[in-house]
Amino acid sequence: MSGDGAPVDEIPPPAVVDLRRMGVERLARLRDEMRSQGVDGAVLMHGPHVTYATGHVPEAVDASHASHRRAMAIVSASDRPARLHAHDAVMEAASGSAETGDPLWPELDDGAGEVGSAIAQVLGDVTGRRVAVDAVTGAMARAGVLRGAELVDASRVLGPARLVKTEDELACLDQAQRHTERAMVAARAACIPGSTRAEVAGAFLAALRDGDSEPGLGYRNGIDPIFQPMPLHRDGGPRTSTGHVAFPIGVENPVFAEGDLVWVDAGVGWQGYMSDFGCTWVAGRAPSPSEQSLCDRWIAVLEASLAVVGPGVTLGDVARAARTVEPDETPWLPQFYLAHGAGLESAEMPMIGTDLGQAFDDGFELAAGMVLVFEPVIWVDGVGGYRAEEVVAVTDDGWRRLGGGDHYEPFRT
Amino acid sequence: MSADLLLARRERVLDAMDSAGIDVLVLGRQDNAGYACGMRRLWTAGTRPFGAGCIVVGATRRIHALSSWDAGIESPMTFDDLYPITWNPRIMAASMAGVDGLARAGRIGVDELTPSFRRAAANFAPRSEIAPADDLMARVRRHKLPGEIEAIASGCAAAWVGVEAALGAAGGTDPAVAAIRALAGVGVTVPSSGVRAEQRGAELAVDVGVICDLYEGGVGGVFAGGRRAGPTALVDACRPGASFDDLSAAAATGDWLVRGLGMGFERPVIGPGVGTGERLEAGMVLSVTDGHHRDVVHVTADGPAVLSQRP
Repeated sequence: MSGDGAPVDEIPPPAVVDLRRMGVERLARLRDEMRSQGVDGAVLMHGPHVTYATGHVPEAVDASHASHRRAMAIVSASDRPARLHAHDAVMEAASGSAETGDPLWPELDDGAGEVGSAIAQVLGDVTGRRVAVDAVTGAMARAGVLRGAELVDASRVLGPARLVKTEDELACLDQAQRHTERAMVAARAACIPGSTRAEVAGAFLAALRDGDSEPGLGYRNGIDPIFQPMPLHRDGGPRTSTGHVAFPIGVENPVFAEGDLVWVDAGVGWQGYMSDFGCTWVAGRAPSPSEQSLCDRWIAVLEASLAVVGPGVTLGDVARAARTVEPDETPWLPQFYLAHGAGLESAEMPMIGTDLGQAFDDGFELAAGMVLVFEPVIWVDGVGGYRAEEVVAVTDDGWRRLGGGDHYEPFRT
Repeated sequence: MSADLLLARRERVLDAMDSAGIDVLVLGRQDNAGYACGMRRLWTAGTRPFGAGCIVVGATRRIHALSSWDAGIESPMTFDDLYPITWNPRIMAASMAGVDGLARAGRIGVDELTPSFRRAAANFAPRSEIAPADDLMARVRRHKLPGEIEAIASGCAAAWVGVEAALGAAGGTDPAVAAIRALAGVGVTVPSSGVRAEQRGAELAVDVGVICDLYEGGVGGVFAGGRRAGPTALVDACRPGASFDDLSAAAATGDWLVRGLGMGFERPVIGPGVGTGERLEAGMVLSVTDGHHRDVVHVTADGPAVLSQRP
């Protein structure tokens, strides 16, 4: 790999994370953003936003469970402590600076009154004031909670605050990435002809937990791990609106056949920070020369992209660099991007090459501390596709890799 | 999933919209969208920002869904009922404008309210009133159809696969890891509440919650010698008309919760400090937790029917 050029066995060990410092720095960034946008208070109910404001990481459970048992954070633009209301146990180390209150039930009509009281305790009378919200539940609306306030989307405040990561945030991402890479070793061994998607996913999920020093609390599976056997032709799978292949789809349980190109995509949280692991495996045999050439071209796209990454470079510059080595066809999936950010969510800003368009990309400059997950795709109809992911942080003079290992086997050994 | 069950759910939603004077429903919650259109999405742990994942139009009786491909689409929805995923609000607004019946809707019901959706709706449906309709969906889902009872019982049977594996885990093996592997072996990798297992001397406390084909199943208990400690009085109290006070009096521990279970976590929710005004009704399916013991119970006119019996 170019850039930092560190061979795999010389990649530095993970940095130590200072959870308390991370929490203090995040809250300060959030408040700076609130003040600069004239936002007086924030009422946060989206898990990653609660984590950013308070350090508390809600359990990784089904969305219906997560919504009913929501953690809530209420943050004033003034310097008083952030308020956290959580159903799960609160870990002191991560959430030390927040004051805690009883669990709230904002989904329920008989819980909305207490939500209103909690908001009043922290923010006072909100009439005529600007308050950032993730959402207002039906129960809150019926009870008149936040009535009279000028509501703005919390993502307008949290988005810019979260864009540039602190050193501790980068260290969390690095640690999540390394653990995902370790658990993927078991999944790859299970990905053989005759095994099913679910069996491979089970090997991954079991290894994820088996290698966790705080089982059930430490690493949390964030998205369905994807192990998708890809068709050889664009029109060999589900019908799409993009003209390209459908990915990711994970709702079926296919049996892998020898020679299947299997696209892998998984994200695991540690302290809320999401890894993003992508690669391509071949079930039951070594890559053919034509498949190997897909990977070689993928590496060339990655290297061309990374060669220009650094502070002050626009997203458009990176996209153009990627296209120079694949001039005939855009080397990423049309519904996605060449690269996306990562943090408390597995895909966040900055995103390069989306349908937001050229003007957006050319107007957005990279800065040190931003994260980019590159996920180009090289597709040759009849041969299939190669897709993998590489996670880097933008540094003062370029970039550095997050995660600990080379995961391009069996294409690079 | 049976086509009849999906059609029955769809009719329930459309009928409820007629009764409530809601012309169009815009559903952001996966469980609500799954109820209305049967679409299985990739599960994402945790809360999700509101977006127009599924649109139900009363006038055309069509359901539209956010997807760039037809994988996981159930009849009668077709490829033509889909609008593509996008990062661009303008493209999304154009998709909304293309949904027949949305622009002239008098009232649009949503399962969560956000400033950005209000702003967008002011453009694609300028004369529409935006109203909360989470309660409409909760009411529809509150009483289960026979096909739903079957699906939930299947989910509970799957949960037992995990429990049995945890009980059979060899010494030195994490029982939760054994459960995760066994569940994957029967094709179940999507948790609802997930797998919890705690060895305490000769006893194993275990709780498994899964999602199978959109429906939740679960069971929990304290096991000694492979046998689960008996059901609690709380299960027996789950009868039509039971009040908060009835349930509270029956609970053996201070850590109890009776809540709807169907396509995940549903209403009613009754437990310490919540749901004091609720009464149980025949047709509900409930997850009934008292300490470490958990059963899934169908409330019938004849009393509680436990769906989470050991197979």
